[in-house]
Amino acid sequence: MTKLKFLNQPPRFLFFTGKGGVGKTSLACATAITLADADQRVLLVSTDPASNVGQVFGITIGNQVTAITSVPHLAALEIDPQAAAQAYRDRIVGPVRGVLPDTVVKGIEEQLSGACTTEIAAFDEFTALLTDSVLTADYDHIIFDTAPTGHTIRLLQLPGAWSDFLAEGKGDASCLGPLAGLEKQRAQYKAAVDALADSQRTRLVLVARAQQATLREVARTHEELAAIGLTKQFLVINGLFPQAETAQDPLATAIFQREQNALAAIPEALSQLPCDHIVLKPFNLVGLTALRKLLVDDLPVDGENKSNHHAIQFPSLSSLTDEIAKDGCGLIMLMGKGGVGKTTLAAAIAVNLAHRGLPVHLTTSDPAAHLSETLSGTMDNLLVDRIDPHVETERYRQHVLETKGSHLDAQGRALLEEDLRSPCTEEIAVFQAFSRIIREAGKKFVVMDTAPTGHTLLLLDATGAYHREVIKQMDPSIVHYSTPMMQLQNPKQTKILLVTLAETTPVLEAANLQADLRRAGIEPWAWIINNSVAARTVHSPLLCQRASNELADIKTVSTIHAKRYAVVPLLQEEPIGVHRLLNLLRSSQ
Amino acid sequence: MTTIQVFDPASCCSSGVCGSDVDQELVGFSADVDWVKQRDVAIERFNLAQQPMAFADNSTVKAFLERSGAEALPLILVDGEVALAGRYPQRSELARWAGIPLQEEVEESSCCGGCC
Repeated sequence: MTKLKFLNQPPRFLFFTGKGGVGKTSLACATAITLADADQRVLLVSTDPASNVGQVFGITIGNQVTAITSVPHLAALEIDPQAAAQAYRDRIVGPVRGVLPDTVVKGIEEQLSGACTTEIAAFDEFTALLTDSVLTADYDHIIFDTAPTGHTIRLLQLPGAWSDFLAEGKGDASCLGPLAGLEKQRAQYKAAVDALADSQRTRLVLVARAQQATLREVARTHEELAAIGLTKQFLVINGLFPQAETAQDPLATAIFQREQNALAAIPEALSQLPCDHIVLKPFNLVGLTALRKLLVDDLPVDGENKSNHHAIQFPSLSSLTDEIAKDGCGLIMLMGKGGVGKTTLAAAIAVNLAHRGLPVHLTTSDPAAHLSETLSGTMDNLLVDRIDPHVETERYRQHVLETKGSHLDAQGRALLEEDLRSPCTEEIAVFQAFSRIIREAGKKFVVMDTAPTGHTLLLLDATGAYHREVIKQMDPSIVHYSTPMMQLQNPKQTKILLVTLAETTPVLEAANLQADLRRAGIEPWAWIINNSVAARTVHSPLLCQRASNELADIKTVSTIHAKRYAVVPLLQEEPIGVHRLLNLLRSSQ
Repeated sequence: MTTIQVFDPASCCSSGVCGSDVDQELVGFSADVDWVKQRDVAIERFNLAQQPMAFADNSTVKAFLERSGAEALPLILVDGEVALAGRYPQRSELARWAGIPLQEEVEESSCCGGCC
């Protein structure tokens, strides 16, 4: 039926995993349709808040198994991880709301608002589907458009994590704490984890784009999940730019070449995996007809497509930087999901400010270190340094293990070590390293390519508030004590720029980050939409298509989410070096 | 027989690594709790983030939270009466409340790792 490797003799469970915007949900939908068309009985499970699986099939689905009448043998189910986490919070907090003081209740809710809670709550919803229950008995295949992280699975595998609170309903909790309030039995979670790690039953499909950063990230996911037993892995490179499109369009040629270079330099860990390439399609992946065509290769380019798009004038990063420069000093933090170009944009802003004669300290967590190396010492007024997230996290881990782990028994220590592998830990470690530099922002510009989430700030500030009280008690004359949180909340001192791409899922992810910051009393100052094709003049039909797709997303950002925004066009050349970075701001054509 | 109840502040991780930097004190205290448990003392811990009902159901604890806020935790009750607030007890204090001897040969809890 198809020559795609990941579709060859698929086992019962298929998981698609990858970062937001790579096309997991489209692939999961197309796979489900393909298998159902081959007379397999299929259940499609979506956890993508932007998925619109229902819209794709023209029906309302929601949190219950619903038959897709337009595709025989296919049913679908939508899980909303945020709603699952909220339901969990309500179960814990509901009974004490109005009973305990409001501030106390708010504090409890914040503890339960982290990424871990959402992860675990979503996994809880999966559990029944992975263990053979009445719910899934009727299906040959169950297809998920997401997969649990290594951190979640490892926690569930640790005996220490379970010993106290699930057996007795209390005791000390870890990142697994949320499970304490979930009803299922340990045996059921164990069965779910076993099903995941069983290569006879489970296949993991890693979805990536042909971009260096994305491939690096996927390689990490691969190694992490393989280490805990999910060895049956396939790789899909989605949305590859076809060579046929490169004629007479220099940007198209550059994109094609960049992708081919990324593929040639694919991380070794991935090069061993069975791999499929899926070519970028000249149509939107909405509707049955379009999805049926996604997994079919060698489609002729549709003659109806436009082959001319003129660059649209959007607000430029250069005018945002003008406004930033007026203040003379301050903390500028760029925030966004991996791969949206935070480091490059931070460097561009820093170089531009320094070019104006303003003193700038640029601090990046750039994993490749190229950028910081090429910029160091090249410009007056510009100081560049780099914080290596892995080094900082490791230092923090060692510190905690040596100071706090020394008294623990083997199980307790294993649990503490796993807590220290949580995404929160890296965020805290990096933020602590950054916060040493934050203080300089009173005298000059400090530009950073990362920012802590609102959740982390609220948790960190819990001690901040406490220490503030202590200091006040010790010496009432100290009234100007300020925490990093207070500095970040003050728009005079700090500007947070949210970076995203003009695509549905990345915009939604950025909006979630914004909501999280607002919970901590921080209002992002502006949004930057990076790598926009709509801001360029293009001729390739595929790029024209992409340009017109971007318009709706840019409109959403400018009218709903952002106080002010800028659009940075997709560049032909990687903006490395002072000269190209300066041009990046100007080149809003 | 004496009952000791410990009402801990909210934390999503017992180690505190996901959030605010929990004191070394807490780790030492956990060891002390095990120590008194082994001597058959009734000691219970409640975490505000996971068992808020235990806080709401106890009028002493509830009044304490209303007066002083969650920042003032931990709160330690001995037989229902407030014995200590704002810090964790030393092993010697636990032993005194429970009426058990503090054996000298047992390793002392190591508080004050620079945090106090």
